[in-house]
Amino acid sequence: MRFLLNLVLMLTVALALGFGLSWYALTDGRLFGAAQIGPWTAWTRAGSPNPDPYTRAYLARNGALQLGQSEGVQFFATNDSDGAPLNRTCRYRIDGLTPTATFWTLVPTTPDGAAIAKSDGPAGFESNRISRAGDGSIQLYIGKSLSPLNWLEIGGDGPFWLVLTLYDTTVFSGAGTDKDTMPSIITEGC
Amino acid sequence: MIRTFFYLVAGLLLGLVIHLVVILTLPSLASNNVATKLSALGQVNRTVVLDDVARGADNPLRLDPEVAYAVCRLDLTNAPGELAGTLPLAYWSVAVYDRSGTVLYSATNRDGIGQTLDIGVFDPAQTRLLAEQKIDVAEGLLIVESRGDEVYVVVRLAPAHQVMRERYKEQLAKLGCRNIKL
Repeated sequence: MRFLLNLVLMLTVALALGFGLSWYALTDGRLFGAAQIGPWTAWTRAGSPNPDPYTRAYLARNGALQLGQSEGVQFFATNDSDGAPLNRTCRYRIDGLTPTATFWTLVPTTPDGAAIAKSDGPAGFESNRISRAGDGSIQLYIGKSLSPLNWLEIGGDGPFWLVLTLYDTTVFSGAGTDKDTMPSIITEGC
Repeated sequence: MIRTFFYLVAGLLLGLVIHLVVILTLPSLASNNVATKLSALGQVNRTVVLDDVARGADNPLRLDPEVAYAVCRLDLTNAPGELAGTLPLAYWSVAVYDRSGTVLYSATNRDGIGQTLDIGVFDPAQTRLLAEQKIDVAEGLLIVESRGDEVYVVVRLAPAHQVMRERYKEQLAKLGCRNIKL
């Protein structure tokens, strides 16, 4: 009887650790190949010709058309800068500077990737079509309630992600990297 | 008690083995990868312009709604492939994917290739013949070596304004996706 209990314990630990760690590695991924800058996460080797095994598994699970290394980098955020999950009932301000890039887009999506902006406007922000402060910093508002400056109205309820795609960027390039320059996501009210 | 501890340690070690097996075998087992989704789009050797991402609709490839996409699926079994044409004076980039969704090569038009796209994809045997000068290719062809015979060349084109989008998509559709005649 004691042997059976020990065996069950061993198998439970093995299955929980094996599958749990795999799930964590391919969703959060911070310890395994994804880079985290504030609330933003990016799989930096997703566009590499020789991705590491974790990135390769992430690509297989995710099934997204990744940007090549020369094309750019895609970041996503599931939480605000204080760690609270993004929710469509709240209003958010994306505030700060972005890394150097030819251009970037910021699109709010469902966790499955569907765009959630109202259908009578743009699907997201595009860096060449927004107003900026004198120092080049951005203040973008995302939410259902009318907001000043650059506002994107979203619809529906439930959690959402912010997807920031930097095209032709120097972030993570090593030389003169500006990877610490990422905007904050601030919850303004719910 | 000590015996239970050893079972616990064995469970941890077995868990790590399961984790490694999952990570290493997932790419070959996944049925949801990029190649499966792209191969469902249409036939080989034809440029397919992807539909715009509709608001609220499924976006399995997680495309950027601000960007227009064209996909060229090439079969290199009998001959190398190429994607060629002229693109508008706007930001565009090109990436070559293999079956597993790995990007073999990518470039943007800021790398000095201007408005003309002329990219040739060769498998290892064809690359060897090319090096031995047994295959003639046009001058200026950008040569990419593929590990396998099934590749997808994806062009991303960013219209400066959305009113230009349809015109840009028409230009994407004119890109020539074909095998190179030997």
